Amino acid sequence: MRKTFLICVAVIFSAGIFAPLGSLFLRITPEGFVQVINSPQFSSAVWNTISTGLIATIISLTLALAAAWTLERTAIKHKNFFVIIFGVPMLIPSISHSFGLVALFGANGWLTNIFQWNFNIYGAAGIIAGSIMYAFPVAFFIFMSVLQCEDGSPYLAAEVLGVPKIRQFLDLTLPYLKRTIISTFFAIFSMIATDYGVPLMIGGKTITLSVLMYNKAVAMMDYNSGSVIGAFLIIPAVIAFLADILNPAQKQNDFAKNISVDDKYSSRAGFIFCLSLSALIVAPILTFCVMIFAAKYPADMSFTLYHVMRTIHRGALDNWLNSLIIAFISAGVGTIFSFALAYFSTRTEGFAARIIHLLSIFPMTIPGIALGLGYVIFFHDLPIYGTLIILAAVNVMHFFSSPYLMMRNTLEKISSNVEAVGKVLGIPRRFIIRDIILPKVRFTLYEMFAYFFVNAMMTISAVSYLAPPAPKPIALMITQFEAQRLIESAAVVSIAILLTNLALKIFFTMLNRKTPASQ
Amino acid sequence: MDIQLKLEVKEISKAYGNNEVLRRVNFAVLDGEFFSILGSSGCGKTTLLQILIGLLVADAGKIFKDGADITTLEPARRGMGIVFQNYALFDNMTVFKNVSYALQFHSVDNEAAIKKAAQMLDIVGLKNFSAKMPAELSGGQQQRVAIARALALEPDIILFDEPLSALDASTRLDIRRELKNIQRTLGTTMIYVTHDQEEAFALSDKIMILNRGVVSQIGSPEEIISAPANDYVKTFVLDNLQTKIDSLRRFLT
Ligand SMILES: Nc1ncnc2c1ncn2[C@@H]1O[C@H](COP(=O)(O)OP(=O)(O)OP(=O)(O)O)[C@@H](O)[C@H]1O
Ligand SMILES: [Mg+2]
Repeated sequence: MRKTFLICVAVIFSAGIFAPLGSLFLRITPEGFVQVINSPQFSSAVWNTISTGLIATIISLTLALAAAWTLERTAIKHKNFFVIIFGVPMLIPSISHSFGLVALFGANGWLTNIFQWNFNIYGAAGIIAGSIMYAFPVAFFIFMSVLQCEDGSPYLAAEVLGVPKIRQFLDLTLPYLKRTIISTFFAIFSMIATDYGVPLMIGGKTITLSVLMYNKAVAMMDYNSGSVIGAFLIIPAVIAFLADILNPAQKQNDFAKNISVDDKYSSRAGFIFCLSLSALIVAPILTFCVMIFAAKYPADMSFTLYHVMRTIHRGALDNWLNSLIIAFISAGVGTIFSFALAYFSTRTEGFAARIIHLLSIFPMTIPGIALGLGYVIFFHDLPIYGTLIILAAVNVMHFFSSPYLMMRNTLEKISSNVEAVGKVLGIPRRFIIRDIILPKVRFTLYEMFAYFFVNAMMTISAVSYLAPPAPKPIALMITQFEAQRLIESAAVVSIAILLTNLALKIFFTMLNRKTPASQ
Repeated sequence: MDIQLKLEVKEISKAYGNNEVLRRVNFAVLDGEFFSILGSSGCGKTTLLQILIGLLVADAGKIFKDGADITTLEPARRGMGIVFQNYALFDNMTVFKNVSYALQFHSVDNEAAIKKAAQMLDIVGLKNFSAKMPAELSGGQQQRVAIARALALEPDIILFDEPLSALDASTRLDIRRELKNIQRTLGTTMIYVTHDQEEAFALSDKIMILNRGVVSQIGSPEEIISAPANDYVKTFVLDNLQTKIDSLRRFLT
């Protein structure tokens, strides 16, 4: 049983990660390498990636920390509303963020027309702005959850000793967050640097490494150059990975108290700050909603279904169905598989458990755009190439690590004596899992399922190589419409994805409400 | 009167790397006896219990139960129950289900399982708490559920790992009395691990004192008090007891 399981895992990881990655590296020849890095595009792409990436990372981290702190530590009104709004950008593809910016600030943008602005959003400024929209919510939720877990007792002591709030923040909160800030910094930088959705749409002449790779490998099918750039894109993710490992999490104190927020301590500035952020987040989405029903946005605002119908005529419904199928398969298989590995790595002992853990967090280091290229090269002549299955497979592997870590985190909180009791009472392991473990981790399972689903629904990185010939997911229509300058249709698709993801989120929220936690 | 040998432990040793946690431990427990294992923190008590129940494999040595070698038998087939220090209740199940759940895996039919669970809950005084969830109970009550759960499978030996250390003084006293009662009514042999001298001396028919993985002395409380085997027993066990008695006396007069 144990042996079969380990063999299955070895086969899945070999085929799903190592073989494709190996094929990618095998494509790199010394000549190809020299040619790529000597090209003038390459050095400017490296510079563009690092400069825009750093600026966007610093700004999104600062905004995210400020927003999370305001929501967690001040008696702000409508907290839940803000949390929901801040989460919305995580439900649409990264490329949609730059579409939103173009719709607002582009040559024909809504705000551009109203205020007669004439600055140029295309280029570094657009990349930075779009990347912030894309990365802000991720950083925000990391900071939120870490702030929620902070032990309140030092603050009580500080309060009694009369330490001012600002010193409490500097001397208690910041040191507590140091580790999170460092690891989130690298994770967000790597996320921004390896994303091509934002810069492809809004970068204009500013080409980043990921766009360069997209142009070479996806558009021109130059896999050799693509592999070289792909190898470079792995670097930031590996740094993020190492930063996380070398910077171990502090143990949660068992006696931790929740931090109680002083009712008097509410700040108008904090509320206005969160309201402005919400406006910035909602504006592009509202613009999309207007745009898709306007005859010719923004000049002729008369109502029409023309754009929606045209998008459907171009196959949006079929592609949406493809995406649904892929998302459900990825989420179902991914959730079961990541649960199995998390269970094994936390609830068994020894060498195998440690290897499984390392394997499970390894996919974090491979950007989708590099993994997808590896898949094309490796699977090109195999029968699953060109099917929905390969799209689901690449999604499961690509998004594997986060749900795995969610489950691991939950399982680590369950006493290992549960299994020992099972052994002593003669309860077979599968019943312990079915009747005791699974009910306890149910909410985490929902969360994992939603994570796989939402990401499979909106990803355009790894899948962009594989479809066609595989059936096309709807998110890829956005890049297609981008190339055709059909901005309204791209908006229709973005809204369709948003609504689908929203529906799933609402479904799980209702499920959670209906069956309250038993712990 | 013929008192039978229930459990015999011979030359058990266990090391974690270079850390020799148990060194050639030998002892025997009689049928129906209340046997305490007393030792300070880290001396290997939990390790020994886990070896006895089969959750851990010893490096050397043998374990006999009713004369049969059970050294390599699976935990569930040893006819022993265990109560963990943190109880490890199934907290998504009701109190009743906690006790009845495991019976289905021992070819007990549903009706008999229900009867059995009710009987066990009655014994530990939780008849009226069947429908509650573990989180709704006090620490002492949770402990009783864990005891009832272990009793339901009719083990002839029950192991307790520092079962009372998380409870307040008066609850401890209650549960101690109950344990003695259960021992008398069901005749279950009890092996009780603790670092509390007072507890060991109050409850036990026999005490084994463990010092850094080595057995210092085995005997009845009277034997240990009248003839401590070595300095460790004298200082760790008896002096501590004496201090407690002295302070009590001062308090009473
Ligand atoms: N899995 C393990 N790996 C390595 N060392 C261990 C392991 N489990 C226990 N030890 C070591 O074995 C020794 C005995 O541990 P054990 O838990 O048996 O002590 P104990 O007497 O039950 O202590 P306590 O009163 O604190 O519960 C300790 O030094 C401990 O550090
Ligand atoms: Mg112990």
